[in-house]
Formats: sequence, structure tokens, C-alpha cells
Amino acid sequence: MVKRQQAEAINLYKLARREQLLQQAFTNTRLLWGSLLAILLLVVALFAPWLSTYKPLEVDIVNRLAGPSTQHLFGTDNFGRDVFSRVLHGLRNSVQVGFIASLLASAIGLVVGLYAAMYRWLDQLLMRIMDALFAFPAILLAIAIMAALGASMLNLMMCLAIVFIPSVARIVRSSAVVAKQQAYIEAQRAIGSSDTRMIWQHIMPNTLPALIVQGSFVFAESIIVEAALSFLGAGIPAPTPSLGNQLSEGKMFIFQSWWMTLFPGIALIVAVLAVYLLGDGFRDLLDPHTAKKGHAKALYKRLSGLNQAGKEGTAS
Amino acid sequence: MTKPILEIKELKTSFKAYNGLLPAVDGVSLTVNEGEIVGVVGESGCGKSVTAQSILRLFDERKEVKYEGEISYGGVNLLSLKAKQMSSIRGNDISMIFQDPLTSLNPVYPIGEQIVEAMLAHQRISKKQAMQRAIELLQLTGIPSPQERYHQYPHQLSGGMRQRVMIAIALACRPKLLIADEPTTALDVTIQAQIMSLLARLNKQLNMSILLITHDLGIVAETCHKVVVMYLGQVVETASVQELFQSPRHPYTQALLQAMPRIDSERGKPLTVIEGSLPTLNQLPQGCRFVSRCSYATEKCHSASPILKPVEGVQALVRCWNADLIKIESRSQGQQARSGGEDHVIQSVQS
Amino acid sequence: MAIYVLKRLLALVPTLFIMSVIVFIIIYLIPGDPARVMLGDGADEATIQQVREQMGLNQPVLPQYINWISGALQGNFGESYFLGKSVMAAIGEHAGPTFSLAVLALLLSLCTAIPLGIAAAKHQGGLADKLLTAFSLLGMAIPGFLLSLFLVLLFAVKLKWLPVSGYASLQDGVWSYLKHLILPAVSLSPLMGAIIARMVRSSMLEVMNQSYVKTARAKGVSEHRVIYKHVLRNALIPIITVTGGAFGTLLAGAAVIETVFNIPGLGQLLVHSVARRDYAVIQGIVLFIAFLYVAVNLIVDLLYVVADPRVRLE
Repeated sequence: MVKRQQAEAINLYKLARREQLLQQAFTNTRLLWGSLLAILLLVVALFAPWLSTYKPLEVDIVNRLAGPSTQHLFGTDNFGRDVFSRVLHGLRNSVQVGFIASLLASAIGLVVGLYAAMYRWLDQLLMRIMDALFAFPAILLAIAIMAALGASMLNLMMCLAIVFIPSVARIVRSSAVVAKQQAYIEAQRAIGSSDTRMIWQHIMPNTLPALIVQGSFVFAESIIVEAALSFLGAGIPAPTPSLGNQLSEGKMFIFQSWWMTLFPGIALIVAVLAVYLLGDGFRDLLDPHTAKKGHAKALYKRLSGLNQAGKEGTAS
Repeated sequence: MTKPILEIKELKTSFKAYNGLLPAVDGVSLTVNEGEIVGVVGESGCGKSVTAQSILRLFDERKEVKYEGEISYGGVNLLSLKAKQMSSIRGNDISMIFQDPLTSLNPVYPIGEQIVEAMLAHQRISKKQAMQRAIELLQLTGIPSPQERYHQYPHQLSGGMRQRVMIAIALACRPKLLIADEPTTALDVTIQAQIMSLLARLNKQLNMSILLITHDLGIVAETCHKVVVMYLGQVVETASVQELFQSPRHPYTQALLQAMPRIDSERGKPLTVIEGSLPTLNQLPQGCRFVSRCSYATEKCHSASPILKPVEGVQALVRCWNADLIKIESRSQGQQARSGGEDHVIQSVQS
Repeated sequence: MAIYVLKRLLALVPTLFIMSVIVFIIIYLIPGDPARVMLGDGADEATIQQVREQMGLNQPVLPQYINWISGALQGNFGESYFLGKSVMAAIGEHAGPTFSLAVLALLLSLCTAIPLGIAAAKHQGGLADKLLTAFSLLGMAIPGFLLSLFLVLLFAVKLKWLPVSGYASLQDGVWSYLKHLILPAVSLSPLMGAIIARMVRSSMLEVMNQSYVKTARAKGVSEHRVIYKHVLRNALIPIITVTGGAFGTLLAGAAVIETVFNIPGLGQLLVHSVARRDYAVIQGIVLFIAFLYVAVNLIVDLLYVVADPRVRLE
């Protein structure tokens, strides 16, 4: 009898939860906007050479510092280069650097996190290093590393990957620890699967939702840090268009030509926003524990609080 | 003893849920007289706690709940008061203590300050006077070396001590009514007895009425003058303690009494339970709310809800169509149960 | 309590040690001979040898590290070849503006974040809550240096209300000091503010469900007092933690923003040192900020003691 009641309560909960998920997928405005912006970003990144009206390095001294016009949508810079074309190429470079850096950081962070969760002694060693890396402000560490490596696009990707490994490793480790404790994994151990098999076949899939969410946040952060580094002159080297470089040049001519600052700036915000929103949307969908507590859950809590199966008052 | 201090009439407290209102308390009426201890009993989730907290309007009315009906205190309907006026009632005229003394005290302030705060909220006295009074209150509630305890933090005190501190806070402004919401549920049995005798003593000493919310019928039998039995947000029976324990009229009350462990019951015989559990608030049965768990249920019980009506000859109210009928039957059934017989109402734990 | 602080301090030692190793090995990331890279292609052999000697590059790795770290622990980060003075002296000269900026930005973010977080927690889903969501999204998506550029465009270039760049120390008068710092501080605060405000909101919401809050209400204490005395006080610890944790980010952000406003702070020193390949200074600044991080952590731990009697009396 009591069992039936419980089953009913669980069914009620499941129903509410499914309803909530469906509702979420449709009403998840963040995911929607994030996806739209991300698609736009992807199109720009892939087709920048075809979308741009001029070559990004094409110098035209006669028309330098010209305001936005039908010829130059976003105006021209101090060398007469077309700002619109440079923004498109800058976005392409920023997205490329950010994406590869976050991919690298996610891959290495995944390995570190998984193995740290698996072996005690490795955990101590690896996570201490991760903590130490994490303690540096990201931009600062990146500046120091770039100063040593020298400014280039490849170095920049490596540097950003190093800086962001810890944030991925920490997240992966914590969800891997949870997964490891789950009963079915204990069972796997009991029937004697090898550690490697266990890690990659059983634990790793459980960490994927968290990894995807964190990976997209790292992507967004990478874009920001890349822009800051390039702005400071420690990122993508000068003639190559990047949003940070353009902002740095824009700063020099801020009194003469606002368009050199405004347009690359807006492009940067849109890019970061797109990836953030996407990450937030993913989190709501994939990782309901850390997402805001849904209505169904709260309701269930309330109902079960009010109507615990009648045992206390009668059987005690 | 007969002057009413608190009269609740048709109180309805509904929680706002995504699919509408869930009435956790549905038309409760009860009266507490001056100097009286009234017990409210029922299963978890029957709305007794919600009723208690509704009196002080402790739920958030913008988001959480909707109150309807009337709670009349000293001729004023508390439900019609503005927030500020309500604050001046809370802790001043009506105080409340809660179930879990471990979490009911603010961990970051010394206990003395928490008592003083209650006084300063309502009375124009100096901090020094308030402190003096707080120490007296600690003494009154039976806390040894109150001067030292005054400066201690909640985590330095045992559970029983903390409940005493809660009582001291509640008494700070000498309220006329104390609402005790399961004050002993979270405590050890020996501490339970101490706290209950403290409450009984304070009731006599200060002539303070107490509304005692509990699921423990033993406590009710020992301390209360009057009992209100609740089931699924409604009052199903009200009577004096003697009357209720001697001749319970509502099938639910009878079942509750039979589920109570007794010292004179046969050893090895399993305790009886009430079959089934509470229906959820959004799927209430038609007719009588107890119908799905009641063995006396007739056609009428399934179709129409009974009202709370006086019982002839005694000071009691009962919400049952068959109250008169059941009273006679139940005696024989009670005996049957004691001699090991099984019937529809009473089932063993294993079922 | 002394034991508690000591314990916290000891727990930071391994982190600090590894942080120092990381800063140290940055030199080894330099492709080729650091001294040669530093001095550029035109340098003569004798100078390169001299610099190698000065940087201790002729020693094996371990003694080199021990030398360096023992110096650093005594506040000696070595000499800057380009500045002709000790790294510490250079840091000392540039720390003031950075601190002014970071502290002002911190105050600014606390002053906006706490009321906003409280309002959002009090009226969940209300206007303040929506504002907070928008605010935190923008705080995350607009990097500080970009916001500063936009603010300069608006307030300095278009409206001409505030100076475009430069710095005035407190001695030059409070108004002049603030006038130069207000734009940098405003651009720095949204990210920090967003982080704090979100923490205030969630921490307050959690405390609001505690039964001692109900007790406070049942006492007849005013709603204002319930929120500020009972809820906020208990919600403080996570707020302190997140504020302390974000202080490092704030310092780094300050370093970037300084270059926008030409403020002679650590950030400017760092950027110039990167351009000069003055590795000793770069290492010094990064390690200095790492030390600061540890110090801030310690302060946070001490604040716990103040905020929570349970920690104090353990």
C-alpha cells in the first residue's frame, strides 16, 4: 500500500520533471539566443574571406581614418584598412584561437581530472599543481607565459590552454569522483575490468555534461583573455587582424575615430555573449543539479514535506 | 477558564503551486481559552503545523500562501492586520516555539542577545534592564548559571537547553498565548518530559494559554485540557482530554488511539497502524476526506462531506456522518483488537 | 583560534611553493638563451655573459631556484637590467596606483552588488532579480578593458566630463585623485559586482529558508532587521569567500585597465616589461601578486573567525 503511494509520488514527480524538461527546451531563451548568435559567429568565422568587402591588410593611405560610409561600412583605420573586413577577420581569428585553446584545455583537463579522481597519489600531486595554476589570475599568468614564448598565434593557443586546464580538471575531477562511487562502477570493479577501461568507458561518459558546460565557459574566457593579451601587445602579433589589436589601435585614435573602437568592441561582446549563453543553456539542459532548481522539484519537495506517507503519527 | 483568547474561524491556508492553490488547511475552526492548554494532533502533513504558523502569518503572503477565514485575537482579526501591526503582535501577545531547537536559534549571536532582541522589539526598556530580564527568564526556564549562559552561542548548548532558550525568547514579553509547534519532537525522551513539565509549569505560573502542536498523544494526555484532532487540513474532532481519550467518536481518532503503544498491551503483538496514507492535496477524495481509509464508510460518506457538529450531551464536536453509530461499535472492536482479532480498520505493520 | 590561523597558513604553503615553481620555470619556456633573447640580436657577447651572471643563469637549475626563492621570501626579487634598480623597488613605485584602483573598484562593486543581491533575494523574480541577471550577464560578457574604452568614448571624448588618462596621487587632492580613478574603477567593477551580487542572492536565499529566520519573524522583529541582522549576517561567509577569491582577478583586471588610462601601476610596468623582455620584473610582479593572493586568503580566513562564532570557538 505504502509502496503504491510512493510509486505514485515518484510518477507524479517524473511527470512533472519531463514536463519541465520539455518546457525548458522550448522556453530556454538563453539556449535559443546562444545558438542563434553562435551560428552567426560560426558563419562569420568560416566565411570571413568571402563576406569581407576588402582584404584585411589592404592599405589605402588616402582614405585613412574615414568614418563609416557605404564604401566602408565600419569606416577605415589609421592605415586606411577597412574596419568591417578587419572585424570579420578578427572575429575569425579570435574564435579560432579560443576554440582550439578551449579544446586543448578540455582534452588535457579531462585526462588530468579523470586520473586524479582515480588514483589517490596522483590526485595529491596533480590537483596541487592545478590549484596553484588556478590561483594565478588568468590574464596575468597568460601575459607572463606569452612574454616567454613570444607572440604568435600558436603560442597563444598553447598559453591559453595551459591557463585554463585547471578549471576544466577541477570540474571533471569532481564529477568523476561522484561517478566512481556509483554502485554500477563498484560492480565493474568487482568483475575485474581494467582501470583504463573503467575510466574511459564508465566514468568518462558521466563527466561529459559538466565537461561540455565548462568547456564552453572556457571558450568564452579564452576569447576575452586573447583579446586582452592582443590589446596589451602580448597576443596575436600586429598586422594580423584580431579584435584585441584593433581595440589597441582604436585606443590610439580614440579622439579621431570612434568607429575603430566601437565596432571591434561590439563584435567582441557578441562573440563572448554567444558562447556564454550557449554554455548557460547547456547547463540548464545537461546539468540540472547546478542549474536553478526547477519548479517541479520545488513542488515535489513541498508536497512530500506536507504529505509524508503516514507513518510517524500512527506507528510511533 | 472560559474566556476565549484566540478564536480561529474557518481558516483556509492555501499554498501557491504552479497548477493552482493547494489548501493545506481547509476550514479549521478552534478556540483557545484563557489559561488553557489546547493540543492539536494529527499525522504529519495534516496541516497542524501550517495552522500554527498561519496564526502568526509566518508564511510569505506575496509568494507562498493565501489565507482566508478569520483568526480573532482580542477581538481583532489578525488576518486583516497590516504587516507592521502584525509584527507588534508576534512575540508580544502571541509567541511561538518550533520543532527543532538546533536550527531555530541564530548561530552567530549569543543567546542572551536573542532574548533581549525580542524585548527591545516591543518594549521601551533600556538594554541593561532587558539584559537583567533575560537572565531572569533563563533562570525561569531552568537554565543553570544563566549569567554565563547569556553570553554563549547556540552551538555551545545542548538541544534541551536550546529549547529552553527558545522558550525564554517566547516568554520575553509575557505573551498571553504560546504556540508550541512540536516542541519536543527533536529531543530525547527524558528531555521531552522536562520541557513538557516546564511548559505545564509556565502555563500555571503565568496563566499563559498554550496551543500545543504535536503528534504524540501521550503528551496530549498528560498536559492538555482540550484536544483538536486534525486530518488533511480539517478538524475532525474536538473534545476535552478526558472525553476524547475515553470515548473517541471519529474513526480517525479511534485509529490514532489504537496506534498508540501501551504499556499494558500484549508483548510481541505488533502495533496497529492506520491503513494507507494521506492522499495528496491535489487528489482529495470526494465526500469525507477519511473515506478511503475508513471501514465504517457508507454511500453517503463517499458522496457528501460531513460537517463539524456538536455531539449531544457533551462538550465535543465531531466531523462524521456515522458518529453516533460508531461510538457503540468501537468499544467492542477495541476489545476484539486487544484479543488479537483483525478487522478492516486495524492492520498489522507487516501488511 | 591561533591554531586555526596557523593551520590555514600552513595549508597555503604547498600552493605557494608550486606557484613559485611555476613562475620560476617560465624563464625556461623562452626558446633559446634567455639572456640573448632579452638583449636582442645586436648585443655583444660580453654584455650577454654579464646578464647571464646577474640572472644566475650559469648555475644549475636547483641552486638557481633556491637562490631566487630565498631572495623572494625576503622581498628581494632580483635586479632589473633595464631599469637599473631592484625589482622590488620598481614594484614598490608602481603598486600604489594599482591598489588604489583595485580597492576603489572593490568598494564600488560591493556598494552596488550587496543592495542589488539583497533586493533580488527579497523579491525573487522581481525587477531587481531581472536586473541582476542582465547585470551579471553583461558583467561576464564585457571585458573590463573594453568597457573602459567605451566609457572613455562617452565621458571623456564625447561629453568631456572626465580626463581621458593619467593619474593623480592622493597628495594632489582628493578630487583630482578620484577624477582620474573613477572611470577605471567603474569599468573594473561590473565583473566583480556581478560575481558578488550573485553570491549575495543565492546565499541570502539559502539562509532565508533557515528556521532561525522564522524564529526572528515570530519574535516580532521588523522585516528590515530580519533581513539585515539575521539573514545577511549569516549569509556573509560565502560572500566573503567569493570576494576574496575574486580579488586576484580584480588586480589582474586593474593591470589591463591601467594601460588604457596610462596609469603608472603594476599593469603598465608589466606591459612595458613584456615589451622590453625584462623577465626579472615579469617574474617579480607575477610572484608578488601570487603572494598577495595568499595574503588575501589569509585575511578571508581571519574574517571567517569574525563572522562565525562556530569557527572562533572551535
